[in-house]
Amino acid sequence: MGLLALLAGCAGPAGSSSVAAGEPIPGGVLDVSISAEPGCLDGHGISATQQQFLGRLIYDNVVTLDENGDIAPYLAESWDVSEDGRTYTFHLKQGVTFSDGSPWNAEVLGQNFEHMRDPATKSPLAAAYIAPYVDGTVIDEYTFEAHLAYPYTPFLYTLAQSWLGMNSGKAITESPETLCQKPIGTGPFTVADYRPGQSISYTKREGYDWAPEWLDGDGAAYLDGVEVTLVSEPVIRHQSLVSGQYDLTENLAPQNASAVQADPDFTYENLARTGNPYVLNFNLNRAPFDDLAVRQAFAAAVDTKAVTESLGFGTYTPIDGFLSKESRYYDPTVEGVLTHDPERANQLLDDAGWTGRDGEGFRTKDGKRLTVEVPTVESSTPSPLLVQLQGEARKVGFDLRIIQLPQAQLTELRYAGDYDALAGVWHTNTTDVLFIRYHSSEITGERIGQNSSYVNDPELDALLSTAREADDGPVAEEAYSKAQHRLLEIVPGVPLYENPSQFAYANTLHDVAVDTSHPVPVLTYAWKAE
Amino acid sequence: MTVLRRVLTRLAIGIGVLWGAATLTFLAVYLIPGDTALLILGGPDARPTAETLAQVRADYLLDQPFLVQYGSYLGNLLQGDLGQSYRLRLPVSEAIGQQIGATAALAAAAVAVALPLTFVVAILSAQRAPWIRSIVSGVEVVFAATPTFIIGFALLIVFSFTLRWFPIGGNQGPAALILPALTLALAVFGTLSQVLRNELEDVLEQPFILTARSRGMRDLPVRIRHALRHAAIPVMTMSGFVVAALLGGSVVVETLFSRQGIGSLTLASVYNKDLPVILGIVLLSAAVYVVVNLVIDLLYTLIDPKVVTA
Repeated sequence: MGLLALLAGCAGPAGSSSVAAGEPIPGGVLDVSISAEPGCLDGHGISATQQQFLGRLIYDNVVTLDENGDIAPYLAESWDVSEDGRTYTFHLKQGVTFSDGSPWNAEVLGQNFEHMRDPATKSPLAAAYIAPYVDGTVIDEYTFEAHLAYPYTPFLYTLAQSWLGMNSGKAITESPETLCQKPIGTGPFTVADYRPGQSISYTKREGYDWAPEWLDGDGAAYLDGVEVTLVSEPVIRHQSLVSGQYDLTENLAPQNASAVQADPDFTYENLARTGNPYVLNFNLNRAPFDDLAVRQAFAAAVDTKAVTESLGFGTYTPIDGFLSKESRYYDPTVEGVLTHDPERANQLLDDAGWTGRDGEGFRTKDGKRLTVEVPTVESSTPSPLLVQLQGEARKVGFDLRIIQLPQAQLTELRYAGDYDALAGVWHTNTTDVLFIRYHSSEITGERIGQNSSYVNDPELDALLSTAREADDGPVAEEAYSKAQHRLLEIVPGVPLYENPSQFAYANTLHDVAVDTSHPVPVLTYAWKAE
Repeated sequence: MTVLRRVLTRLAIGIGVLWGAATLTFLAVYLIPGDTALLILGGPDARPTAETLAQVRADYLLDQPFLVQYGSYLGNLLQGDLGQSYRLRLPVSEAIGQQIGATAALAAAAVAVALPLTFVVAILSAQRAPWIRSIVSGVEVVFAATPTFIIGFALLIVFSFTLRWFPIGGNQGPAALILPALTLALAVFGTLSQVLRNELEDVLEQPFILTARSRGMRDLPVRIRHALRHAAIPVMTMSGFVVAALLGGSVVVETLFSRQGIGSLTLASVYNKDLPVILGIVLLSAAVYVVVNLVIDLLYTLIDPKVVTA
């Protein structure tokens, strides 16, 4: 089972877009079910996971990541980066229009940058990705110069993500308040009807002809439309897919994976998302995880492979480092450094002074129990992951307490740093995720930072800064490699498993492409056989 | 004149109920711990700047003291403005308006199933052999006591997963309405039918029933024409329960069957602490409750004019 899971995890995009069974048949509406709905469809204004899939239907981006994960032209035909890495000159594609008829040009690109960082947009994500952007200059109608405060190579990668898709300049100027409900992009489909909490209907955009090259197609989409319905119950999502009510489902529950995989009428995809995998991040700011030995002990106490196997019903891939294996500059030598070793865990805790035992068998030091509080969002059943970790930690004497809180309260606690550990993931298409997660400047302060471990290590800071400023190449590779190893020395958390994108679709659906930016289905040139 | 006065009094009470409901809910949501502004910006996984955070607080008056927030809310309410949804970023009236049709259809379908079922079962089972009553009453208790979620899931497993007679979820077409409506209807029927039968049995002991029977009237006409008229009033009094069951049940049923509606909107709004929407839904529910009770009150006077003088 473990091997099977590994193989499934490695099946990259190449194995996914099925060999076309004959000529594409135009027409038909695709019925899709999704697990959650963002509440707003303007990528600039949300951080919802579903945006990467939904955004691909209506938005195009300045650049794209091609089938190899390399930056490639999209709405920009080419670009130049200045010697000092602080000026990006984009040469834009001509003749592209938004679905409201307004043109795509240099001025609109500038408007989009401004819209992303305008506080009124309330951007939780896009604004942070372009934080180094200072201002821009319209050189001519199709040339735009972006000025950055400092060299920031991840800039292009983030511009390829759907949260940074391009909105109509006309809509941004005239009716920004309508962008959530009726976003206007240049993409292959347009939003015909959005019913928050229920469904989104998309209609094919006639005259579309600027898909990125890696999609290997020309002209408008084959499908007449896409009907996306919110189906929050995983069992219902699975059953309604199998019964033929929907053609494709996003976020297939792992417990249904083997059934769908065994069914010859369906294609099942299990792809690792690049970025920071699922990690239980420690709070290094306070006891007991301010002590490196305690952190090492906790990491050694957890049998990551067993936990992962059980959680993902064999479909999740365990991981030893703080970067997804699918990410650029992943260094395989991180594997095997943090290992499951209860004996070592016990030894480390003994040496750290946690030698006492109380009535319930938990370790104590100076009469204080070795307690770890892990808050999580409230639900009817406690998080299976935390329950598993609780059991693992208990074996060496940790008292892991799961604190269930309403989302609002959890957010406040997270902002205040009032926790011992937090389980989470951060998927993105740039290795700069290590900066976002573990650089000291990303500790919550001016902005709500994602360095929830409060890692403040000058050596790591220097490596991550070098990496983000260096061009793609050996300098970045070496810095990222060293950073991955440095993290294993600091142990800001326990890496658990690759964050998967699991989806499935009926085999009557052909040519479903997969994004390398985030592994979601791309339906531009998908078609339905009848 | 008495009827008009009665209506006016009821209306005044109704407005008081609405104001009370709005105030209590405002207070309750205000007191829920947690920073609403952070939540509006996407929860723990967002990376907003302090400037954006300040903008959100200012936009929604979250930086103001309670009385200012409450005063502004009531003031807008008097002008018919329910405010803006934090999450959907559109007017609350629009957010609710988009969903209300689906829930109304669901509730109407549920009532259309529940009421005839209640009347038929209660009329036919009142004063029957003990074993018949035990079986019928047992079934009613099961429907009344089992959580809606379980009933709905059982129906799904049998009729959708296994027999595949109905779609598994969604809003498409009348077929998708049948199982959700049945789920809601069974819970309402379970309670109402028991009440109606008990009343019928009381009424059937009355002397005037004996008189009717002695005139040679057959059993079923006696039950329908004479007994039901009297027994129906306590059932109507329970309309409040029915409204509550339909509104509360819609939260569960709409979520389970992936249906659009006020129920799913309620759940999403509570989860996201979307105060304006929650308040809008509470006001709407209270208004429905007030109106239904007013109508029922007037109906009493039609069925049994004695009620007015009582």
